[in-house]
Amino acid sequence: MKDYSSPVYTVRRKLRPFKGFLYLLPSIIILCVFTIYPLIKTFMMSFMEDYNLVNGTYTAINLENYKELFSDATFLAALKNTGIYVIFVVPISVVLSLIIAVFINDVVRGKAIFQTLYFLPYVTSVIAIGLVWRWMFNSNYGLINSILNLFGIESIEWLNLPKYAMPALIIFSVWKSLAFNILIFLSGLQTIPQDIYRAARVDSTPKMRVFFKLTVPQMRPIIVYAFMMGFISAFKVYNEVYSLFGGTRAGPANSAITVVYYIYSKFYNSYRYGIAAAAAVVLFVIIFVFTMIERYVTRDRDKVKSK
Amino acid sequence: MKMKRILCVLLSAMMLLCMFTACGDTATDDTSNSNSDSESNSDSETATLVDSADIEACEIVFWHAMSNAQEAALTAITDEFNATNEWGITVTLVNQGAYNDLSTKLTASAASDTLPDLSQAYNNWVTSYIDKIIPLDDFVERDYDEMDYEDILQSYRDENSEFGFISGMPFNKSTYLYFYNKTLFDQLGLSAPETWDDLINIGKTFQEELGMVSLGYDDLAGLIEATLLQNGAEYISEDGAEFDTEEGLEAITYLMDLYNNGYARLVGEDLYFSGPLGNCLIGAYVGSSTGVSYITMNEGYELGVSTLPGNVTNAANTAGTNVMMFTTDANKQAAAWEYLKYLTNTENTVYWAMETGYMPIRTSGFESEEYQAYMETSEAAQACYAQQEAYFASSNFDGSYDVRNDIGTKFEELVLSGADGQTAYDELIALVNGILQ
Repeated sequence: MKDYSSPVYTVRRKLRPFKGFLYLLPSIIILCVFTIYPLIKTFMMSFMEDYNLVNGTYTAINLENYKELFSDATFLAALKNTGIYVIFVVPISVVLSLIIAVFINDVVRGKAIFQTLYFLPYVTSVIAIGLVWRWMFNSNYGLINSILNLFGIESIEWLNLPKYAMPALIIFSVWKSLAFNILIFLSGLQTIPQDIYRAARVDSTPKMRVFFKLTVPQMRPIIVYAFMMGFISAFKVYNEVYSLFGGTRAGPANSAITVVYYIYSKFYNSYRYGIAAAAAVVLFVIIFVFTMIERYVTRDRDKVKSK
Repeated sequence: MKMKRILCVLLSAMMLLCMFTACGDTATDDTSNSNSDSESNSDSETATLVDSADIEACEIVFWHAMSNAQEAALTAITDEFNATNEWGITVTLVNQGAYNDLSTKLTASAASDTLPDLSQAYNNWVTSYIDKIIPLDDFVERDYDEMDYEDILQSYRDENSEFGFISGMPFNKSTYLYFYNKTLFDQLGLSAPETWDDLINIGKTFQEELGMVSLGYDDLAGLIEATLLQNGAEYISEDGAEFDTEEGLEAITYLMDLYNNGYARLVGEDLYFSGPLGNCLIGAYVGSSTGVSYITMNEGYELGVSTLPGNVTNAANTAGTNVMMFTTDANKQAAAWEYLKYLTNTENTVYWAMETGYMPIRTSGFESEEYQAYMETSEAAQACYAQQEAYFASSNFDGSYDVRNDIGTKFEELVLSGADGQTAYDELIALVNGILQ
């Protein structure tokens, strides 16, 4: 018979929680070094005036960086552009990909082919895709203008004029983000029990009604997830801007500059580390608040639903 | 539940620890602030040079951003050095991608103190870690007599001593040239421009006869600086805009008129004008002399290359990197220096120039028989040589890179909005002063 009151067992029992911690240690260390430490460092850098990354010197600790940031017209433009980008790209992309996913799901033959085709943009390099789209948007030889011309619409200088830079970026990004959303919607659609559809068919419910009354409510958690992921990644848009405008600048006269593009150029081109850190903190706060609001809104509904 | 709580505590402890180490770092760094550049420079200056006879075999890592023909030429020179040098020095070339990538990696490795022994670099990349560059003054003094060093073109020597010491050796140097569609020019009875008025005349003729734009600039910031200097105005200094003068206004107005009258256009989606020129979509453009290898003229059209037109005086931008030394090991420094001397000697600078379209960095290189023979066949090389007297290099100081970035963007914005000369002049000055003051 075991004597559970013996000191050996007491020590073992007391150490048990730490055993779990031991298993977690590697990932905690990695997380601390590569996520938490940079996060804290960024916060600190954002308050250091004239911070020099190379020798770690700064002149003072104050709010100068933030003051300069919010009086910089380029940063304000970047904020505005990022806002526009998020508002347009995410909803359009989610709605479009839901519709496409439903269609693909209904296809009886060659479903796999369609799935692969629509998933291709996700596994292709953004830089390569950007190159192709740059040609499609070309004002002289571009496919998009040729199609517009077919309908009697005059050629648009998509990538040359500031007023078309954001629309071009949004079109490109919507197309680019479809792939991931379609994938998660397709896997979501496959989890919906088929009997409710059969019931609907027995009642000969119109297709639109089936979509709005059955598919959408059943897919709600996945749609919420797609929105959330979409918003977070849209706030961080950089690659799309870089590749669509050829990597030299963010569109004509920087008209499509986004917050992350601004951060990158301040950090690596201008060596204004403090300013870049401050901009990163502002972006962090925006995404944080946005995510909190979204979580609050969606959680509330879940509770209502479960009652 | 209990485990969760313990985990929580541990996690927060970890975080606090991170925070403290972070604080600690910066605090110690901050105290070292007082003994900044000057000391670390003098440190390496007082270090005794390793005599060339005493160099021990070692490996030198050289970061570069050369590709294609340029990389092949650099590799050929380096292989030759590795095979023939008497000390057993091995120089290892490491391609870091494009200029941007190289600059980014240098910045990151400067922060973590892992800079390579040698690297290509523009002066404006290194302004935040000047103290990490090994001054070459003592080496130059020891190994070059006056003739040897002054054989290197004046503007390159100036550029490499603008930080108050010799910070590097010039390497891949190019200049801006005027590339034009010779066939169209001949048809219209035009010749390559020599003055600003010629440019306007060419603009008018192309517009009236062919309905074409005749001028573009790959680098707007470079254009503004060159135009100001060509008109006898100054550009910028650490105190702000220096072109707030009569000549400055005149130069900016002239530029804006070129665009507003439709004689010149922005590069936009084409990124570089080499494409549109080859496809007869533009009559001529100003760009880097190395761009000549990217121009493919449509069948039946011939390419012409000429010097930059001037006004009151001539001024031609130079571009291209220098090779800087970062190794702190005295033996490696001496070894790297031997390689630098080899890389930039007359024979190799000529070989380099002929293979790549860059220019020799030495007068003796330009004057060598080999290069003279090559020039006979290359109009671009002739033009480079012809405008040698007009070379200038932009000066670099805190904020100059920002100005370079932002002034091009601002100018693009002004052209797109069709601003007049006075407005452009006012806004450009405000922008520059906003950054530098």
